[in-house]
Amino acid sequence: MEFIVEKIGMSRTINVESIPVTLLKVIDTNVCEVREDGKALVAYNSSKKLNKSIEGQQAKFGITKEFNKFMTIEVASGVEAGALDVTPLGEANVVKTTLTTKGKGFQGVIKRHGFAGGPGGHGSRFHRAPGSIGNCEWPGRVKRGQKMPGQHGNTQTTVKNEVISFDAENGILVLKGSIPGHNGARGLVRIVK
Amino acid sequence: MRNRYIERFEQAQIETKEIPQFRAGDTLKVAVRITEGNKERVQSYEGLCIAIRGEGTGKTFMVRKMGANSIGVERIFPLYSDSIEKIEVLRRGRVRRAKLFYLRDLKGKAARIKELRRK
Repeated sequence: MEFIVEKIGMSRTINVESIPVTLLKVIDTNVCEVREDGKALVAYNSSKKLNKSIEGQQAKFGITKEFNKFMTIEVASGVEAGALDVTPLGEANVVKTTLTTKGKGFQGVIKRHGFAGGPGGHGSRFHRAPGSIGNCEWPGRVKRGQKMPGQHGNTQTTVKNEVISFDAENGILVLKGSIPGHNGARGLVRIVK
Repeated sequence: MRNRYIERFEQAQIETKEIPQFRAGDTLKVAVRITEGNKERVQSYEGLCIAIRGEGTGKTFMVRKMGANSIGVERIFPLYSDSIEKIEVLRRGRVRRAKLFYLRDLKGKAARIKELRRK
């Protein structure tokens, strides 16, 4: 079962073993069409501008104007068209969250892969460069998967977290620990246990 | 402004706590719960509050006292933590700033703070 969520931000509890928590808002979702493979076409609200193709889809599934973005997610068996039921989240203990990580741009190997780098002083002349990337005339190529500088972050990542609580009234899911992405980022929550 | 959902989440935890009003310059007696193995006991720590920081459940306050051999001891406590059994305000001080870090450079008579007198 999957639900569309928005990351709100982080907080903590006041227990003696204080727990860092992340708050997520479960976004109102409307099931449009249930497929046979356990997935369903759903609609939710995004700031997307309306156009005729969206209006056509809305008229087809008979949903209101604010549900203007469509997505295919896994749903529980027996779900029917209409508002998606979020009560299964109340019984969940562990969830997997899929979000896009914060983009860091083009980064060197120290930040991107955790290379050690060279000494700063004593005339070392080797600071943050990647260093040697392989052998010589033989094999005459760089081996696949060599760690090099490049785009860091802005990739889809899935993490597993425990559920601390779920407030069905406001749709606030509280997870233990952190999740990737910036505040306001949208992603999916899948119930594992 | 903090997010209203985060605020609500934190408010729900803080609401039931009874914490006296105090500010930097006040002398406090803090009863701290300490767990050693399976035993739990309460230790009190007395000193001058020199700073209050943060907001929500992450709010903390800093208490400075002079330890043995005139060595300054500073402890930072989470204000709403369950490990704080009680906070007692012993004396209100007359100070003109929110952070009293200048006290670290002073000692003896110079490091005193006048008691607040209300008219």
